Amino acid sequence: MKPQTKVGILFLGALVMLVIFAFALGSLQPFSNSYELKVAYNFAGGIEVGSPVRVMGIKVGKVRSIDFEPEFKMPTTGEEVKLLIVISVDKTAWPTIRKDSQFFINLAGVIGEKFLEISPGSLEQPELSPGEVVRGQDPPRIDQLISQSYALAGKVLEFVNRNEGSVIQTIETMNKLVVNFDKMLKQLERTSKDPEVHRIVKNLSTIMEDGAFFSQKLRTPEAQKTMALINDLIRRLEPLDGPAIKKFLQQEGIKAKLF
Amino acid sequence: MTAVADFSVYLLRSLKETFTPPYRYKDIMSQLEFVSWQSLPVILFCVSFAAIVTIMESSFHMKLVVQNDALVPGFAALLILRELGAVISALLLTSRVGAGLAAEVGSMQVTEQIDALRMLGIDPVRFLVVPRFLACIAGGFLLSLIANLVCLYCAMLVSELSLGYSPGAFLTGMRAFVDFQDLIFATIKGATFGAVIPLVSCFFGFRCKSGAEGVGLATTNSVVVSSVAIIVLDFVLTYIFSHFY
Repeated sequence: MKPQTKVGILFLGALVMLVIFAFALGSLQPFSNSYELKVAYNFAGGIEVGSPVRVMGIKVGKVRSIDFEPEFKMPTTGEEVKLLIVISVDKTAWPTIRKDSQFFINLAGVIGEKFLEISPGSLEQPELSPGEVVRGQDPPRIDQLISQSYALAGKVLEFVNRNEGSVIQTIETMNKLVVNFDKMLKQLERTSKDPEVHRIVKNLSTIMEDGAFFSQKLRTPEAQKTMALINDLIRRLEPLDGPAIKKFLQQEGIKAKLF
Repeated sequence: MTAVADFSVYLLRSLKETFTPPYRYKDIMSQLEFVSWQSLPVILFCVSFAAIVTIMESSFHMKLVVQNDALVPGFAALLILRELGAVISALLLTSRVGAGLAAEVGSMQVTEQIDALRMLGIDPVRFLVVPRFLACIAGGFLLSLIANLVCLYCAMLVSELSLGYSPGAFLTGMRAFVDFQDLIFATIKGATFGAVIPLVSCFFGFRCKSGAEGVGLATTNSVVVSSVAIIVLDFVLTYIFSHFY
């Protein structure tokens, strides 16, 4: 075999292996079976080109490119979004992604691999069209939360420093209040054990019971009738004066020294 | 110091002649066949064992440190692509091709064939160094590419047989760490190491002292200096490539 032939075979072998490697690594996809989507974010939480895209936890594609679009506005809402992430999604998983699907950026694995998770949409919603721009859910910014907590802690500290006197006074007053409340509770406990108080409470209870019994009796029809009769009698006696009552009594044969 | 100055002049001359046509394609091809085709079996054999050791060692260390060897495929693949594939094949190439070149040019120097070439008006650098230089650059490129990929394949095989990771799991783990640029950097390293070997070997061959002892010394020195140069260049290239990540 000529040296040229051997070198040629080696070169072709290397080329084939290179293509296989590129294919295995996902850098080369000649038979693409996926659609593209553009997901808009204002904060992408460290996602990179090549990061996996998952639907319901299953890998269905990857991040193709990350583009900065300073003047982009969402077509539907007009919201300013400066980052467009182009993702590919397998055709098999495409029907599960609907208009109401949400696009999260999550963290997985021991090495903290970032991935784009798509929540499946409901059947009532229409499917997305390939190449459509959708708004993703910006992941929470831990750094921002920490800095806000620091700021809050600083403000609290500043407030305490500035109002040290009044804060101490408030605490002392609260302390006194608690002491007094404690004293009151102790007094109450002592009082509840006094036999005289016991007796009074018992009598009060009896009175209350009697009152309840009396008021119950008053509600009966008989009592109502009696009340009505008394009322009637009083109304009839109202026009009578002293001599008339005397005459009436004399007629009845009752002798009495009245008025 | 004289040697360094001589080498600098010789290096510049070699580079100048390399970029001056015409080229002797037949000679370049026969040298390329010697460098790549004939070195391939020994290099593939050695990198296969390197892959086995890499997988087993990284698994041992991972289990020791993080009690889990799930990251071994990605870690081993990255180590192979960034270092092992290119460096092992270059060192093997040094011992095989570098020693041969130094001995060949040294013998020519001792037997005054170099002087004969000069008398015939033929530039020995152009006649001897340039074809070997070009062949070694191309051979280093090809061999590092093939060695890396075969090494990765062996690593995949070993991790399936020894650790129970399927090829799919290996590739998934590998994708988390490895980029296509890692392979490109590995081939650049391979080509650079390949370029070092003929330059150093021929330089020591030209400076060979008379006698069999002189040839032996030139061969030894060329292998030692080439190996050291490869290790140092590996550091320099790794440092440069680290800015691309």
